[in-house]
Amino acid sequence: MTGAGEPTVIEVAGLTRRFGRFTAVDHVDFSVRRGEIFGYLGANGAGKSTTIRMLCGLLAPTEGDAVVAGFRVSTEPERIKRRIGYMSQRFSLYPDLRVRHNLEFFGGAYGLWGRHLAGRIDEVLARVGLQDLDDSVTHALPGGIRQRVALAAAILHQPDIVFLDEPTAGVDPVARRNFWSLIRTLSEAGTTIFVTTHYMDEAEYCNRVGLMVAGRLAALDTPAALKARHVPGRVWMIRGPSLGRPEARQRLAALPGAIQVQTMGAGLRLRLSADSPVDADTIRRALATVVDQPVEVEADEATLEDVFLAVVDADAWRRGTAIARGEGPP
Amino acid sequence: MSRRLPDSLVRVGALAAKEALHIRRDPRTLYLGLFLPLIMLLLFGFGVSFDIDHIPLAVADQDRTAESRALLQDFVAAHEFELKGALPDPDRATRIMAAHRATAVLVIPPGYAEALARGDTATVALLLDASDPHSAQQSLARADVMAQVATARVAAASGLLAGGGDGLPLSARTWTRFNPAGRSALYLVPGVTAYVLALVAVLLTSLAVAREWERGSMEQLFATPVGRLEIVVGKLLPYLAMGVVQVLLVMTAGAWVFGLPFRGSLWLLSLASVLFMLGMLGQGLLISVIARNQMVATQASMLSAMLPSMLLSGFMFPIENMPGILQFISHIVPARYYIAILRGVLLKGNGLAELHTELLLLGIFAVVMVAVSTARFKRKLA
Repeated sequence: MTGAGEPTVIEVAGLTRRFGRFTAVDHVDFSVRRGEIFGYLGANGAGKSTTIRMLCGLLAPTEGDAVVAGFRVSTEPERIKRRIGYMSQRFSLYPDLRVRHNLEFFGGAYGLWGRHLAGRIDEVLARVGLQDLDDSVTHALPGGIRQRVALAAAILHQPDIVFLDEPTAGVDPVARRNFWSLIRTLSEAGTTIFVTTHYMDEAEYCNRVGLMVAGRLAALDTPAALKARHVPGRVWMIRGPSLGRPEARQRLAALPGAIQVQTMGAGLRLRLSADSPVDADTIRRALATVVDQPVEVEADEATLEDVFLAVVDADAWRRGTAIARGEGPP
Repeated sequence: MSRRLPDSLVRVGALAAKEALHIRRDPRTLYLGLFLPLIMLLLFGFGVSFDIDHIPLAVADQDRTAESRALLQDFVAAHEFELKGALPDPDRATRIMAAHRATAVLVIPPGYAEALARGDTATVALLLDASDPHSAQQSLARADVMAQVATARVAAASGLLAGGGDGLPLSARTWTRFNPAGRSALYLVPGVTAYVLALVAVLLTSLAVAREWERGSMEQLFATPVGRLEIVVGKLLPYLAMGVVQVLLVMTAGAWVFGLPFRGSLWLLSLASVLFMLGMLGQGLLISVIARNQMVATQASMLSAMLPSMLLSGFMFPIENMPGILQFISHIVPARYYIAILRGVLLKGNGLAELHTELLLLGIFAVVMVAVSTARFKRKLA
């Protein structure tokens, strides 16, 4: 479900949070539709967690407001809490308790009890594929499994929106992939997912991605639109021996329209501007004198990481000039 | 759901059940909660006895008469002093005490019998090892009694010799009540009860709450509809229940092992226990809200609750004998009032008429602690 045509479930307007003189979140605006997977991307300390904590009613905004599941975070945080699920950064299960006891506790915290709760626990365990683990003591489980238990705990009370703060931090790639397929299933069933991550590859799974840079929402769109806008032009992947020589990098960087040269494994990745005349042959010729054997050149695609770096650079440049003009950051 | 329960009840129930599971899964908590009280009781009841008898006594009898031997006999007859040996010379008293062979030396100077015969005041000396002042004090008290016994005997004998007289011109009779045998177990059990309750209530609650902050699960809790007061009540309930079990355990063991009487009202004692525990739980909660980590919480609990409950509560050392400043501080140590109530109810059969002030003060402490900690808890949320 992409969320198009669905009602808005999160509406954020001018949301700001300051801690003393430090502005963690700076006038952020966006909206999320029902059933969307909304990714919130950014470096550590960019304001992702602060935003999510304000949206969950854990932290009061300094300025601005947000409406989540129909209630204002500034005035009705307690009503929001009944309608959302929240999985914090350190998916905080109680390690000394069994999986079922953890779920019974969180179910109880949302007012579920008795046979209804027992039924819900069986349902969510089946949904995350852990129906056989309800008797395990939580600390004995691997990180990827614990994370699925935490997700199960967050959806016990059938929330409209699930907030996941860095749910895949410290989890192995296979477990991460499995986790994302669970998230997709949830969103297809109509649950809105708001997820923060600093794994750029994960952001590709999102319907829309917001990029946080230093407390501001620097870009927001679908992954494809973000790439088209912020990383126009072409990307080439060059593979072959002896590309590790500094001269190879220098030659590529000197090509007309070259924006960036990255080392990728044994090869190099070259990003060119849209108007660059450079093609595969130009690249081969440029490298012919510095490498011993002919290189392999093929077209590659821009990634969200390229987008992120482009946006961060643009932001730094913008701030740099602003400071140079003596105005300081807004 | 066929029936409806108030959501708040469900949430508090879930919290209390979760906390009970934590307790059950942590053997240290159970040990602290259930075995420590019993061990403390036995240790204090048997080991730390303030009852002193068989005080090792040496004698330096320089008189060597029938009268001097009779005096010595008076001292050792009741087994409160036990004769360890005779010294040829009183100058060796110090050495014998330094070597821990005796803690008291009775010196009967030459001419003792003669003085008695003349009807003069005969003086004997008792040297005491006061390196343990408490024992020395008790030895002195015992020696006084012995001297009185001897005086009475001598007076009676001389009166008889004089062919008349009716003994001593004045004699005081003491009649000890409530703990006639002066057994320290009876005196200590109330103190042990207060101490273990303070320990469990303050230390365990502060650890339990600090752990939630440390692990970050407190934030997860705040993201649920659980209210602050619900967290406080849900957290405290299991420890309150544990405290009730402890009181019963200590009382039963006290009655069974040491013959602790129960002369007053069970209801009064229960009410006092619950008020005392609420105050201690509130204090534990306050510590954890401020400290937010288990290390600091442990130390703060030791300093603010456990030490005062043992040292400034009248548990072991009488408050009347403390320096003024400590007496003053002891007024804000709730264990002081709780121990007074326990001793009153158990040993004296006191009722509300005698103990209402202590009960009221416990109540005030409980209300203030729970209110302040809940308020602090709220404010920390942003």
